[in-house]
Formats: sequence, structure tokens, C-alpha cells
Amino acid sequence: MFDFKVLTQWIDQSLRALNLPDFGVLVIELVLVGIALLAAYAILAIILIWFERKICAWFQCRLGPNRVGIFGLLQTFADTIKILLKELIPINNNDKILFYLAPFIVILSSMLSFGALPFGKGLQAIDFNIGIFYMMAVSSLGVLGVLLAGWSSNNKFSMIGAMRSGAQMVSYELSVGLSLLTMVIFAGSMQLSQIVNQQADLWFIFKGHVPALIAFLVYLIAGHAETSRGPFDLPEAESELTAGYHTEYSGIQFGFYYLAEYLNMFIIAAIATTVFLGGWQPLHIPGLDGFNHVMDYIPTPVWFLGKAFFCIFLSLWVRWTFPRLRIDQLLHLEWKYLLPLNLLNILFMALIVIFKWHF
Amino acid sequence: MGGFAAYLKSWVTGIVSLLTGLKVSIVNFFRPKVTESYPENRKTLVMPEHFKGVLTMPHNENNEHKCTACGICQMNCPNGTIKITSQTIETEDGKKKKILDTYLYNLGQCTFCNLCVLTCPSNAIVFSKDYETAIFTRSKLIMKLNNEGSRLEEKKKSASGEA
Amino acid sequence: MELKEKILKRLPDAGFEDAQYPTVTVEPDKLHELASMLCREEGYDFLVSLTGVDWGDSLGVVYHLARSGNPLDMIVLKTATADKEHPQLFSVTDLWETANLNEREAYGLLGINFINHPDMRRLFLNEKWKGFPLRKDYDASPENNPLSIESEPFSDKLRSLSFTTQGDIIEKEKELFGKEEYVVNIGPQHPSTHGVLHFRVSLDGELIRKVDPNLGYIHRGIEKMCESMTYPQMLHLTDRLDYLSAHINRHALCSCIEKAVEIEVSERVEYIRTMMDELQRIASHLLGWSAMCMDMGALTAFIYGMRDREKIIDIFQDTCGARLIMNYNVIGGVMYDLHPDFQKKVKEFIPYMRKIMKEYHQIFTGNVIADERMKSIGILSKEQAVSYGVTGPSGRASGFSCDVRKHRPYAAYGKIKFNEVLREEGDTFARYMVRLDEILESLNILEQLVDHIPEGPYQAKTKPIIRIPEGEYFQSVEAARGLFGVYICSKGDKSPYRLKFRSPGLSLVSIVDLISRNEKIADLIAIGGSLDYVVPDIDR
Repeated sequence: MFDFKVLTQWIDQSLRALNLPDFGVLVIELVLVGIALLAAYAILAIILIWFERKICAWFQCRLGPNRVGIFGLLQTFADTIKILLKELIPINNNDKILFYLAPFIVILSSMLSFGALPFGKGLQAIDFNIGIFYMMAVSSLGVLGVLLAGWSSNNKFSMIGAMRSGAQMVSYELSVGLSLLTMVIFAGSMQLSQIVNQQADLWFIFKGHVPALIAFLVYLIAGHAETSRGPFDLPEAESELTAGYHTEYSGIQFGFYYLAEYLNMFIIAAIATTVFLGGWQPLHIPGLDGFNHVMDYIPTPVWFLGKAFFCIFLSLWVRWTFPRLRIDQLLHLEWKYLLPLNLLNILFMALIVIFKWHF
Repeated sequence: MGGFAAYLKSWVTGIVSLLTGLKVSIVNFFRPKVTESYPENRKTLVMPEHFKGVLTMPHNENNEHKCTACGICQMNCPNGTIKITSQTIETEDGKKKKILDTYLYNLGQCTFCNLCVLTCPSNAIVFSKDYETAIFTRSKLIMKLNNEGSRLEEKKKSASGEA
Repeated sequence: MELKEKILKRLPDAGFEDAQYPTVTVEPDKLHELASMLCREEGYDFLVSLTGVDWGDSLGVVYHLARSGNPLDMIVLKTATADKEHPQLFSVTDLWETANLNEREAYGLLGINFINHPDMRRLFLNEKWKGFPLRKDYDASPENNPLSIESEPFSDKLRSLSFTTQGDIIEKEKELFGKEEYVVNIGPQHPSTHGVLHFRVSLDGELIRKVDPNLGYIHRGIEKMCESMTYPQMLHLTDRLDYLSAHINRHALCSCIEKAVEIEVSERVEYIRTMMDELQRIASHLLGWSAMCMDMGALTAFIYGMRDREKIIDIFQDTCGARLIMNYNVIGGVMYDLHPDFQKKVKEFIPYMRKIMKEYHQIFTGNVIADERMKSIGILSKEQAVSYGVTGPSGRASGFSCDVRKHRPYAAYGKIKFNEVLREEGDTFARYMVRLDEILESLNILEQLVDHIPEGPYQAKTKPIIRIPEGEYFQSVEAARGLFGVYICSKGDKSPYRLKFRSPGLSLVSIVDLISRNEKIADLIAIGGSLDYVVPDIDR
């Protein structure tokens, strides 16, 4: 397996060889990492949008984008340019500061959690020892942006959408947290690098018996709800609230919400990958050394992205099959079904860990 | 405990119903796609027999049409789509005869009810099979159907031609 | 006639006529008495149609009444007032709720005030409109009503006229919405109103307190246009009412005219019309199903429905040359003979549709989310359905047996066996299921007909200029959304004196307020989807 530390350390050493002060090296490295992450962020968003369009089309027996570029690959680039060029329509009688601030909060929260993801061996910008906690903390900042958008737009639809979003996020944050907590109990650590390293021989979803599987499914459902995508798209609810909290946004401001939505989908899938599916670890089956060796030749970022896209596919499959929930059903699902299940699941996981029943 | 049993049952029925839905959509995922790739399929695209595209007035090789400028189509059109101007001329044998000057057709107002074609006594007009009729200027929707310098097809000629 | 004697006993000066349906003419002040006797004692609880007419020297209203047990055993009431300056008639809203919107329509288009009506706002036109379009002396010049590009505030004042104890008429005003109410506009541009329908919805959080439909955004005055057109000319307008049951609407008008001028249509034409109607019904129900799924957030189901509807549209295209506005029925027959592939394609379609229906049930009907969103939501009782005149699948979901094809078979419906799909619950789920079950029933009808299309001419010879003999004619058919009726009042000319389309959509939209109160916004959308209204059909 290629360790990307080789690359990053080489960059570090060559910078230091230029006789720059330590502070200068740090600044340059920070800028480089920032640019790399921003570029990855934008490119991933564009790929994701194309991916969703194609998958959605295939579920619906359609062809999907196929006009701009081969297989419509350039379609999203064209759309990005379009959305960048579009006019920002100013709105009277709204809270200007909050209105313009809200999209940035949303995108900031997704950027912050994006930065801490382990994309491959040695490819992690920052490795907190409370990694999972940090992820959950920053990703739930996004709801603030949504609430602000709804409040500051001075639009009744936006207001209803934002309120729905508030109720939804607060509820599903609980399930996300508890299902991750299950795995934290299992791993004994919140540090993402450690969690990944522990899965070198076997992924947690196989290691952790039924509770890990249940936690994985619950996390996918709750995480899907966190991203507010159908069937949990109540804050937007096109057929009810036209566009919900972002009704009044236009141009790139709307683009920010759009981007954040897709990236949040990726982040949820990436966390699921890291915690349940072994992160960038190749598929290893204990006992099959030859097979394991072959798997090691596939680069680690490919493993990571492959698994993440598999999770995204699951989420799209659900999204393009089910009708939207009503607000009471949404809350019933969380508080009557997922939460009790989660609590039981944690208990089982604790028992498994105490009695060492796992592989 | 009835409540709890119902709760458990709701778990099972709920999950089963969701899985059936997922099954249907994944089956359709692999089905052949139904989208038609227009305009690539222009060559294979066949308009049906009674398709009503644009009203046209067929002319034969001698630049002759069959319209006698009787105005029945104009009268029957519910939307005022057709405007016929005619002039009365005197033929060689001294008879007065109405001939067609311009036959104006406004595609923008036409509802394709087919009454003009049905009621035309001399079968002078037909609907074409053009299906790409969108244009950028509204004034171009008003079309002159008779060609420049065209005249009425002689009845004898057509009769002998058919026989 | 027993009923006649009863009426004469109560109202000795009532006039009787034996036209197509027994017709009773009374003075305006006696109308309410007669109406309430018919409604409360004789069981005429279904007001099929309410038509305002300008008789020249008087303004009047024609009521078509029927019993809910047999919706086509009709009796016609007529009344008129000679006072054209301040025409006032008595409202029958207290007897039949469906009169509410219909009387508002008559008020807007003819200027007839209805005493005791709770809400005398103009239905289709705005309050500033000058003149009453359906009156014969209406000046239609554009200078009278110039096109305004200014936004005009709505009138939220509910005006009602009523009698005081002294016998004077007083006018009362009431505000529609209170100052504190959170009123949201659903429409006229909204993804799930399927056109330019406008609801103003008063919300309490997610709950709906009141819905006020604001109609007329696509009112084209088709009834007025018909008054200046010949009979063959006006046919093309019917396709543009409820464009999803274009064939069926046109069938209604054609057969009304054929009956009036006594044209025999051949058996082949009747079979063709019946099959086209049923194909149209399937197409319409498929679209209704799809749109409802989409409104509830299942976009994939929407595409599946549209995919399968496409097959029917292709069949239409082969024979009629058009896909949506088919222009197929003409007076005395149909425009073209069937395409040679017609039978083959229909026979292929029937088993395909039966198979694919199972998938529909799997992906949507059985889904736990959809199930809970539809069951026990928006309940309409049978009594309400009758009183509001809700027919079609929505009425039958409430147990109102109102299928015209069953009660008064027309075309080839008398020769085939089929069931009227009825359900008792009256909720959104029942309306949804009735529609899907009717698709299967229509497939059965098609199956019985497709192999037995008799030979014969596809068009009967008609006179070049069709004049309907003086009189009044009413013909109803079962359109995809309910009872579609055509009322023609002729004075023997080549165009009608008054023509009214009894559209199922107007009744459907009138119950939205009733059944969505205290439900959630999401339910309003689902209810709208289950009612499946088409806006040009409401506005006409």
C-alpha cells in the first residue's frame, strides 16, 4: 500500500530546504492543503451531481444527461458556469445580513467536516483524537444556516421549511450520534485514524456482529435524513413549499445550498465508510493471503471513494423510490422506531465489548 | 401487550413494504431505457398518417394549385386563422371568374381542428407532416400558402390526368 | 305523473313542459319552496347542474336535479326574473352545497344576485370587471376592460344578501381571513396545483384552518365563444376543457348534438368512441396516479406512470394524428377510420398494463409511507359527496354510485359487462384506489370490445349546416373526473343560444376546503392529487 505520508513529507522537506522560517513553511502548507481540499470539494460536488442525475435517470428508465460531453460528463460543468453567471436577485424587506450570511454557514459546516476526512493512507489533513465528535459537531452547524435562511427570507414558505428543518435535524442528530457512539464503544476510540487502522484485518461491519450492521443501517437512514434529501426532504418539499428554506435564494447563493447538500451526502457516506466499512482499508478476508495481497494493490483513495460511492448509491436508491414523509411520520420514525432501536443496540454492543464476543 | 405486538408488527410490515418498493425500482434500474434520442432519431421518426403540422397548399409541377378562392375554409375556421384575398377577372370567353390572390394562414392561431381540410370542396389544402415548426419571430407564423405566380389547375386537365 | 300532482298541489301556478326531461317553471319567489320540497321530500338531493341564462327579457337559472340513487333520472327547474337592473333570485346553497360556486359563477358572468348566499364574490372574473359577459347585451370591446399589468389586490370581503324580519333586503359584509391569520398562497404558480389554480390557505403551524380557492386564471369564456360558433366549429373547444379527457368531452358534445338533430350514428362509431373513451380514461387515470405520486414526493413512480401512458398516446397518435388534443369525434361519427394496427396495439397493451399495475401497487400503494399519508386523510362522506355534486372516482370513493356508464348507458356501454368501482371510506386512499381499479375495469371493457368492432361507416352523412331545433338538451357522459354534462339551449339557429358545460372539476375544487381542514399542508397536496382536478376544466 502506498503511504501518502511519503509525498507529504517530501513536500515538507523540500519547503524546509528552501531555508524558510518554520512559520512560513506552515503557512505555505496550510494554503496548499486548503487549495487541495477546495479543489477536491468542488470536483467531488460536480461528480456527485452527475452521478445522481445518471443514477436517478436509470431508476426511472431514462437516459439522463447525454448531450454535453460524452455521457453528459460536461453537463454539470456547464451548469456550474451557468449558476455562477446567474443574477443574484435582491429581495426587499428581509434581514440582509443574515440572509447573505446563511449560505456561508451552510457551506462552512460541510467544508469543516470535509477537511477532517481520511481519504487514504496518510491522506488526512487533520487527525483529531476526538475526530468523530468533531465531525458531528461541525456538521450539525449547517442547520443554523438553514434556520437563518428561513427566518431572514421573510417568506412564509421559507419559514415553514426552516422550522421543519429544525425539528428534523434535532431529532435525527440523536440517531446519528447514538449509532456512531455504538461504534465508538466498539472501537474504543474517537480518533478516525485509529478507527481505520483497527479495521485492517476485517471491517467493523463484519467484526461487530449484528449491532454493527444495525448501527450501519440506522446511521445511513439518519444520515440521509440529516442531508434533507428525499424521502426526508421536508424542509424543501418541492410540491408543498415550492423550495422551502431556499425559495428566495438565486444564483450562486442557491448554488451554495445545492453544493452543500451534495457534499453533505458525501460526508455522511464518507463517515459511514470510515466507521463501518474500513475507511481506505482494502477488503481483507482473514485466511486468504493471496486475495488480500491482490487487494492491497488497489490504491487506498480508490477504496475510500469506491465505498463512499456505494453508500451514496444506497442513499440514491432510497431517495428515488420512496414518497416524502409527512412531518409527523418523520418524527414518529425517529422517536418511536430508530431511537429505541439505537438504545437497545448500544446496550448489545456494550455487552459484546465487555464479553469480547466479537471477532 | 397488544400495543407492543402491534408496534413490532408495524416494524415488520414497514420494512417489508419498503423492501418491495426498493425491489421494484432496482428491477427498473436494469430495464431498457425508454427515452427517445431526439433529434438523433430524426431519420427514423415517422409522423402518423393524420398528423397535422402546418397547413399547406400542394402545387403541381406547373405551379398550379386547386384553390378556387371560394372562402369556405375561411368561413369554417373557428379562430380566424385563414385570410383569403381574391380578385375577379374576366376570362377570354367573357365569364367572370374569381381567382386566388393570396392565401394567408396564421400558424400561431391555428388549433389544428382540421375543419378547413374537411370542408374544402376542391381538396386544395392539406396538413403537412412538418413537426419542427417553432420559430423566433412571430410574424413568420403568418404564411402565404400559394406560390408566387401560381394559378388554378384547369379542371379538364386534372380530369383527363386522372382518367 | 305523481310528482307533477304533488308540485301542483303545493304550487298551483307552476308551469310544466315535457321536453327531454320533465321541466317545471316557477316564479322566483316560489323557487326555493319548490326546490326544498324536491330536495328534502322527493329525494332530489343531487344538483347536477346550475346554469344561468339570459332569456333576453329576463335573467334566469336552470337547475338540473337528480336523485343520488339514480343520478340521471332528472328533473329540470327553471326560474327567471324580469328585473335586469337588479336581478335577485333565491340561493339554493342551503339545499345543495354545490350551488355555492355555481351561483357565484352565475353572479360573476350574468350579474344575478342570490339572496342568502353566504359569499357573493365573482367566481372567475375580478371585482373590477365591467359588464356581465354571458348577457346578450354584453359589450366585449377591449376598451371596457383594458388589460391591467398592475397587481390587483384580492377582495376578501364576503358579501351576502339576506332578509330582515321586516322583509327588507340587507347587505352584510364579512372578512374572509382575520388579521392574525397566517395565509399562504398555494398557487397560482405552484408545483402541485397542476396549472394555474390558486388556493389561499390559512395555516396554524402545519395545520390547515381554511382554504379559499381563487379561480379564473385560465377562464377563456368557452361558453360565450360557443354562442357565436357553429356546431362543428365549437367541437374543438371541448378538447381544451379537461384536456386529459379530451375524447370524452367531445363525445358528450357530439352525442348531445346528434340527439338533438336526430342523427343515427353507426354501431362501428359507437364502438370506436367507447374504446377511445376507455383508452382516454386509462391515460387520464395514469396521469392522475403519476401526478399524485409526484406530489407526494415519489418522482420515480411519476415517470413509470408517464412511461406507460405513452403507449396509449401512441395508439391515439396512429389513429387521430395527435397525442393530447385529439380532435377525433365529429358530429355523426369520428374524423378518421381506425388505424390498421389499432386492434393489435390495444391487444398488446391490455396484458402489459395488467402486469405493470402490480408494480404500481408494490412501489406506491403498499408503501408504508404512502399508506399512512393517504389513509383516513381528507374524508368525504357520501352525503357530502352528493350535496357537493362530487362525481367520478372521487364521488365513488365515498360510496356515491354515480357512474353514468352504468346508470344511463350511452354508446356501446349497454352491450358490455363491467363493474362500477365503489368504495366506502371516502378518504384519500379510497380515491386513489378507485382510480387504479378503474384502470383495470377499463381494460376489461377494452378486452370485450376490441375483437368485436363491427364493420360500417365511420361517419354518418350530415347536413352541411347543422341547426338544432328549438329546445333544450342535456347530455352527460362519464369523463375521467366525473359527470361531464353539456346543456344546449337552442333557438333553432346554427349556433346555440346558451351552452353550458357541467364540469366535474368545479365540484372537486369546492370540497377542498371541506376535507382538508385540520389536516396538514402535506395532506392538502395529497388530497389535491387524489381529487385529480384539471384547471381548464374548472375555469372553462
